[in-house]
Amino acid sequence: MEMAAGTVTQSRSQLPRRPTIDVRSWLVAPAAAVLIIAFIYPVCQFLLRSFSDPVWGLQNFRALIHQPLYMRALTNTLVVSGTVTLFCIVLGYPLAYTIANAGPRLRRLLVFAVLVPFWSSLLVRTFAWMVLLQQTGLINHVLLQLGLIDAPLTLIYNRIGVVIGMVHILLPFMILPLYSVLLRIDPSYTSAAASLGAPPVSSFLRVYLPLSLPGVLTGTLLVFVIGLGYFITPALLGGPGDTMIAQIIAMEVGDFGRWGIAGAVALVLLLGTSVIFVLVQRLTTPR
Amino acid sequence: MTETKQKWSNLTLDRRHFLAASGGAAALGLAGARTPAMGQGKYAGQKVVFASWGGSYQDAQKVSFCDALAKKTGVTVVQDGPVDYAKLRVMIQGGSPTWDVVDVTVDFLYAANQDKLFDKIDTKIVDVNRVDKNYVNEFGVGDIVSSYNVSYNTTIFPTGKNPKTWADLFDVQRFPGRRSLRDRVSPMLELALLADGVEIEHLYPLDVDRAFKKLDTIKSHAIWWTTNSQSQQFMIDGEAGVGVMINGRIFDAVQKGGKLGIEWHQNMQLVDYLVVPRGVKNPDLAMALINEMTLPEHQAKIADLMALAPTNPDAFKLISPSVLPWLSTTPANAQQGFLVNWDYWKDQYKPLAERWEAWKLS
Repeated sequence: MEMAAGTVTQSRSQLPRRPTIDVRSWLVAPAAAVLIIAFIYPVCQFLLRSFSDPVWGLQNFRALIHQPLYMRALTNTLVVSGTVTLFCIVLGYPLAYTIANAGPRLRRLLVFAVLVPFWSSLLVRTFAWMVLLQQTGLINHVLLQLGLIDAPLTLIYNRIGVVIGMVHILLPFMILPLYSVLLRIDPSYTSAAASLGAPPVSSFLRVYLPLSLPGVLTGTLLVFVIGLGYFITPALLGGPGDTMIAQIIAMEVGDFGRWGIAGAVALVLLLGTSVIFVLVQRLTTPR
Repeated sequence: MTETKQKWSNLTLDRRHFLAASGGAAALGLAGARTPAMGQGKYAGQKVVFASWGGSYQDAQKVSFCDALAKKTGVTVVQDGPVDYAKLRVMIQGGSPTWDVVDVTVDFLYAANQDKLFDKIDTKIVDVNRVDKNYVNEFGVGDIVSSYNVSYNTTIFPTGKNPKTWADLFDVQRFPGRRSLRDRVSPMLELALLADGVEIEHLYPLDVDRAFKKLDTIKSHAIWWTTNSQSQQFMIDGEAGVGVMINGRIFDAVQKGGKLGIEWHQNMQLVDYLVVPRGVKNPDLAMALINEMTLPEHQAKIADLMALAPTNPDAFKLISPSVLPWLSTTPANAQQGFLVNWDYWKDQYKPLAERWEAWKLS
């Protein structure tokens, strides 16, 4: 993860463009073949069905516009994913900063602490949140015992539960790319700012923060895009109003066998994601 | 038991071979024949894949049904799953299903029949006459019956002062607090109408608008379950004091010490069907497995294990008396209940399920 994020940011600035096909580009052939056969081909087949199933035409897209269900689920998806991304920035930035500026031993420990939940099963972590957040759960129990609340809070089976669960799961996707960018910010820049009389706040805002923005944007992109496709967490921690678009796709295929509509929803999601991806890429590419 | 994988094309040869050896005894080798010697030769060494819903349910099916066939005939019954209808559709439409016998719910049986996904039940191999005719379909044989019941947490609502009917489930004045409901258009429309005073006889065709209006009244008091284990967890943990649950899951929770009660008033019954996907390599063996699953002794065994009601009435004689009150097809319970009408739902399910999703989001 860390490595991958590192190479992404590197490739933008350092790799020269080669006009002729390099022999080395053949090295990607096996991976490309697997990707084409096992991913691109079936996905294209699936998306094509949005135009051809049950008959050729645009009926699936018309249904998408006319049934409020799809637009509501799409709005939900954008709002939830956006909220989760914001929380990930707010929680992830200070932590990434701490990791990047810690001594080697503490740094290893903190990176490990970020990675351990990242390696454990998504389902297990989601179930763990159910145990913690429910009305008879640990958090409500402690708050009630301390007398901080009179009645248990509703922390789960609503939007709050979805956001908590997703932030927890997606946080490493923010921290790791951000950390790898922060690590490469030369401390002499901030020292220089300080020696020129900048107070810490403005040295941070005008020197450190702009230098860290590529990391923030990479993390934002990762968290937001992965969040758009979330399925299990909203299904288990959300309420009836929190249905996300991936759940709709699963329902159309699984319950109804309507590949056409499912394909149309997936195509809209894919196009939307691609637009966001391209925009963020533009923003992070140095001119 | 040998692990040799026998191709279907070799079967006739194999059978002839066996016939020669056993002097024609196997000529009468109808599947489900009780003497081990007969069955042994016909399918011995072959493999049949059974797909179901995993967990303790499939474990019970394995012990009660599959192991019995394996022992009797020498076949290997491979367990697979959990059943995923999208996967099953793709398998069948791709022409080479890897599941030979699949446990499906009534809604999918009807949906699949519209798309011709399953083989007709071969009545030469499956003795459908021993199954209650309410639970037999041209393309599927019911193996177990379960029902949606009112369930309540006995620490929140002590027995005697507990919610007893669907009307009580919807009555937030008399029974305050959250309720655990199933996140699915059926049974919720039926239950809403029953709660609103509609009689079972007049339930179908459903008055959909009235049902949604009734559901509006408890929407803000509801938590929704999508899996059966969730339904147990909500009720045992007291997240909800009253809710909709499948009878077998209440039984299971009580066996494990959960403080839950059950009511049978207007219980809504569902049947799980065994089906054979179109295009399986060995349909005869698949049908033989289904036939095995209709035998009373096996159905009694799974009833004892999980309170899953038999479709073969002969099984009742063999079920332990302590389990009988928990079963949906025990006469006293069956009389109070009704079978979900999937003839109605088969054309209504898609539009209403969509409306259900929209209602949840509104």
